[in-house]
Amino acid sequence: MAATPTPLEVRNIKKRFGDTEVLKGLSLQAQKGDVITLIGASGSGKSTFLRCMNLLEQPDDGELIVHGEPIRFKTTKHGREPEDWKQVVQMRAKLSMVFQSFNLWAHMTLLENIIEAPINVLKKPKKEALEHAHALLDRVGLTARANAYPAQMSGGQQQRGAIARALAMDPEVMLFDEPTSALDPELVGDVLKVMHGLADEGRTMVVVTHEMSFARDVSSQVIYLHQGLVEEAGPPDQVLGNPQSPRLKQFLAPKY
Amino acid sequence: MLDISTWFNDALAGNTIFTADTLGYYAQGFVTTTQLVFLSLIAGLIIAVPLAIMRSSKHKWISLPIYLFTYVFRGTPLLIQLYIIYYGVVFIDGIQESFLWPILRGAFYPALIAFTLNTAAYTTEIFRGAIKATSQGEIEAARAYGMSRGLMMRRIILPSAFRRALPAYGNEVIFMLHASAIASVVTLMDLTGAARFVYARFYAPFDAFLFVAAIYLCLTFAILYFFRFLEKRLLAHLQPQTP
Repeated sequence: MAATPTPLEVRNIKKRFGDTEVLKGLSLQAQKGDVITLIGASGSGKSTFLRCMNLLEQPDDGELIVHGEPIRFKTTKHGREPEDWKQVVQMRAKLSMVFQSFNLWAHMTLLENIIEAPINVLKKPKKEALEHAHALLDRVGLTARANAYPAQMSGGQQQRGAIARALAMDPEVMLFDEPTSALDPELVGDVLKVMHGLADEGRTMVVVTHEMSFARDVSSQVIYLHQGLVEEAGPPDQVLGNPQSPRLKQFLAPKY
Repeated sequence: MLDISTWFNDALAGNTIFTADTLGYYAQGFVTTTQLVFLSLIAGLIIAVPLAIMRSSKHKWISLPIYLFTYVFRGTPLLIQLYIIYYGVVFIDGIQESFLWPILRGAFYPALIAFTLNTAAYTTEIFRGAIKATSQGEIEAARAYGMSRGLMMRRIILPSAFRRALPAYGNEVIFMLHASAIASVVTLMDLTGAARFVYARFYAPFDAFLFVAAIYLCLTFAILYFFRFLEKRLLAHLQPQTP
């Protein structure tokens, strides 16, 4: 049997905004079933790093390999950009993203949100997309809200809906950008429960989070970023249980 | 069964101004006004959609010409635009020999062209504002889910922008209805033209113009209701649900 290609690999990603170098050469490899959590103080570059993985931000340097296929870049007078946007579009369909502020499409019902990209991007038949969507709604506990508009749902419901939307793409890798940071504390649990379940069934995930307990319980690898560099990386009990660098020690110390 | 024409004649009996004859003028004016407004709105809307997309472009050389168009048509009075098109079209070389002349010779089509371009300019700017106000997060989600630019425009940006633009566009429709009154100055027998005719004949300004004002009010009422209905249906997503 041929080895399945690595779902997501990034090498030596660099990014600057004006004079500030935000990412100074970051690499990461997500094997099938890996849950990689990125932690770090705000401004450490973790969200930017995640956004470079599906090219919502254009890295200035570095390689991006999705499912064994390297993304081709070219350099223009505006800087570095993908050579072939079609390739990027295909790549993005394999990595679905869950955002901090949910970003559900406000003029569509939850159900329409979920079937939108499968039908129009993946060209799935509508019937199949609907069946899948109903199964996913059941899974995230939102069957009753299928026909609600995002504005009519609570933050926790919206985020679970957004996770269902991401799952509907049958993604190779799921990218989570601080999925619980915009939620009221009592709503965080529902979302984390869903993410727990995803990790248990072997989904490949890259998660930017401030939820240390989630990082500890679920991840296969924790990466601590500081000022655009990896300060420490490894299994959670090593990185979170026995931090080496003073900065990480301080980051993990109780704040009050 | 009640004989309608008898009833009609009875109702008008003894009235020197509102005879079957003058009411015919008003009816004809009503048809002209609704045709003119309806056709120019439809054509203006069709033109405005691509223009608004171009106007929202990052590229200066695409957005600038559209900006000039909207600036000129919003920056000059509609009456002047109508004069330029109605009186000016005669002076275009060869126009009188062309197949367009039978159409352009009358007042209706020049007025229709002026109104269409004018409403297209305003509608373009209304849509541009709505497109610009699309939530960045929703656009980002569309990109992250592998949508191409065209697909994103068609499925996410425009549907959400049209809904946002609806109240402002409803205003534009009412504005066009009232602006159409100036068509009467280039000899068109629209509603206002009919009123002017009746006024001139009987020298009865209140009867002639109050009557036509009432008709405009009714039309406005219909437009308001139509847009309220559309908003209820299409803007449901903005209304928080009452449990």
